[in-house]
Amino acid sequence: MLLGFAFAFLGVALPAAEVAFKVVDQKNQPVVDAVVSLVPLDGTAPPAVASTSPPLEIEQKRQEFIPYVTAIRAGTAIRFPNRDTVEHHAYSQSPARKFELPLYKPGRAETLLFERPGVVTVGCNIHDWMIAYVVVLSTPWLALTPAPGEITLGNVPAGRYRAEVWHPRLAKVQTREITVAPSANPAPVSFQLTLKADQRVRRAPDASGRGYR
Amino acid sequence: MFRFRSYRLRLLFLILALTGSAQLLAFLIVARVHRTMAEREIQRQLDVAAVQLARVVKQRNADLARGASVLSYDAGLRETLSSTDDIGTLRSVLENFQGRVGAGLVALLSTEGSLLAETRRGLPAANAYQPLQQAADEAENAQASGYAVVDDILHSLVVVPLRAPNIVAWVVVGFPLDQQFIAALKETTGVEVTLRHGSRTLATTNPNRGEYLTRALERPTTDGGTASILLQYSLDEKLAPARRLQRVLGFVFAGSLVLAALLAMGIARNVSEPVQHLAAHTRKIAAGDYETRVDLHREDELGQLAASFNAMAAGLAERDRVRDLLDKNVSPEVAAQLLRDGAALGGDEREVTILFADLRGFTTLSEKLAPRDLLALLNRYLDRMSGEIERQGGVIDKFIGDAIMALFGAPVPQPDAADRALAAAVAMEHALAELNLELARDGHPPLALGIGVNTARVIAGNIGSHRRLNYSVLGDGVNVASRLQSLTRTPEFDTNVITSAATIAALRDPSAHGLRPLGRVQVKGRSEPVEIFAAGSPSADAASAIGGVGVGPGS
Repeated sequence: MLLGFAFAFLGVALPAAEVAFKVVDQKNQPVVDAVVSLVPLDGTAPPAVASTSPPLEIEQKRQEFIPYVTAIRAGTAIRFPNRDTVEHHAYSQSPARKFELPLYKPGRAETLLFERPGVVTVGCNIHDWMIAYVVVLSTPWLALTPAPGEITLGNVPAGRYRAEVWHPRLAKVQTREITVAPSANPAPVSFQLTLKADQRVRRAPDASGRGYR
Repeated sequence: MFRFRSYRLRLLFLILALTGSAQLLAFLIVARVHRTMAEREIQRQLDVAAVQLARVVKQRNADLARGASVLSYDAGLRETLSSTDDIGTLRSVLENFQGRVGAGLVALLSTEGSLLAETRRGLPAANAYQPLQQAADEAENAQASGYAVVDDILHSLVVVPLRAPNIVAWVVVGFPLDQQFIAALKETTGVEVTLRHGSRTLATTNPNRGEYLTRALERPTTDGGTASILLQYSLDEKLAPARRLQRVLGFVFAGSLVLAALLAMGIARNVSEPVQHLAAHTRKIAAGDYETRVDLHREDELGQLAASFNAMAAGLAERDRVRDLLDKNVSPEVAAQLLRDGAALGGDEREVTILFADLRGFTTLSEKLAPRDLLALLNRYLDRMSGEIERQGGVIDKFIGDAIMALFGAPVPQPDAADRALAAAVAMEHALAELNLELARDGHPPLALGIGVNTARVIAGNIGSHRRLNYSVLGDGVNVASRLQSLTRTPEFDTNVITSAATIAALRDPSAHGLRPLGRVQVKGRSEPVEIFAAGSPSADAASAIGGVGVGPGS
């Protein structure tokens, strides 16, 4: 910490490093779809927003939103293509980005820009079980944990950061302060989350079934 | 235990006790079985009611939850709830919601559990809802249900999430278990329902009359307390038909007891009356009335007893008759001795004074009189003489035609037997003189007699065969007495009574009886001459009347 502070104070171009994350739940099982991010605490300037090409998508297919969780830096646009056989009516009532895409037919795609940080929950007005999360962050150092629950962020300048983890079944964002040093193989940043029950609406096994359990 | 002197009372008591205890036992068993059956039936009914209640509550909870869930997806509602913060609007939305799902109350809670709005007015009941919201928040299906007391009414509450599409709020829906609800439950199950919270009664259908069987269902309430749902059924009501039956049984019981009593008295009378009858007759027989007969025409044991009784009475009468005859045929003393010692053959040797009296001139008389008149005259004479002998304690041994043989000192020993015998002889003389006066009045000639008295040791006892015997004495002394009597016919002696020296020696008072010695005479059958004495007055005066006619001994 002192070292990072010294680098910042001296204004020297700092060497980048890798930060590994490891996320498990209360039963030590790897957690998928956890959004990990690093928020610089000592004024490290994040790089400018770069447009991704091709742009990120949350597609509607087989009456589901895919992917379930998307993490983006504020100012990023996301396309919502309908690649399904039925119409959908995507909406969000989340304060970070309210929108509504009234009944649009298969083949159409809307692109929405997410500028305010926050969690945007996307639903479909005509299919109760369809849900997707867009986690909008102000930092570029972010990632989504894959199946093993481990992910590594590269190109992180040395310095002090607030490491954050978000998950749909987590009651509150978990944070921890870390210091990134340009050493070779730092120990991974471990998070153990206490996840709530998965309270998502179960889709009926067949179309004629009930919409919830 | 009681002791009854009367057979009738004892029988009555026994039969009443037996019948009564059997009936009572039966009655108790029936009552017990009725109660057990009633209790079992009530338990079954309470089971059904408990299941019914659980089913109704579960069903209504499910209906409310489904309705609330369906409505919570309503886009317009969702839009309104998420966009407005006006409490009045929120409440109106919830009231609309309440109307659509048919709930008793609806409340909206934030994801943190704070109360946003509710349809009921009054003090907010957030505390009643929050524990359920927390439970739902942790449940995988994001639902929870439970009981809460709101506005003094027990409510069944369900909490479901409001999704957009993640959970953005919680909706509480509930229905009241109020008076109307329990009344309906009572109507369908027939069971009284009482709702309590702690010790406080919230609602009840129970009029609380008599004894109830209770099934208490305990349900936790969201305030940490306990609601009790008491399902009750009146035991009295269930037992009413059984009690009616028991009343009938009671009447039957009392009736049969009366019948048993009557029967017992009848039986007792049937037995005791003949017995009392027999007892009365027994008393009569004891008093000497042998002629009475028990009149009991029965085939049974009592009839046999009566027959035996009659036979016994007849036997007693027969014996009495025999005794009477015995008394007449033998002297009372001999009869008593026979009855006492039995009629065994044999005897013992003792000193006895024997008196022999013979009627003189009887043969002449028998020629003059008709046989019947002769017998009457003889009996009259014998009766008088016997009277004198018995008055002196003598015993008539036998009558030998017109002769009398009497004993003194046998069978009952008499220390003054000799005195008595001589006194009897003298008395007989006088008695004959009186009799002669009577006979003279009747135109009969006078009678004369001779008496011999001797004292000797003889054998006294029963003499004869096994079938027929007499009490008598045997010995030489008897012959001597007879001979002495014969000597009275000797004119020189001038006496009617002759006795021996042996008798004189046995006298206690030799100065009496006017004794005078007659010297020694040769007695027939005796080698030695015998010293004899005359007793009483000289026979002259008596003999003059007779005319001194010598008569031989009668046969």
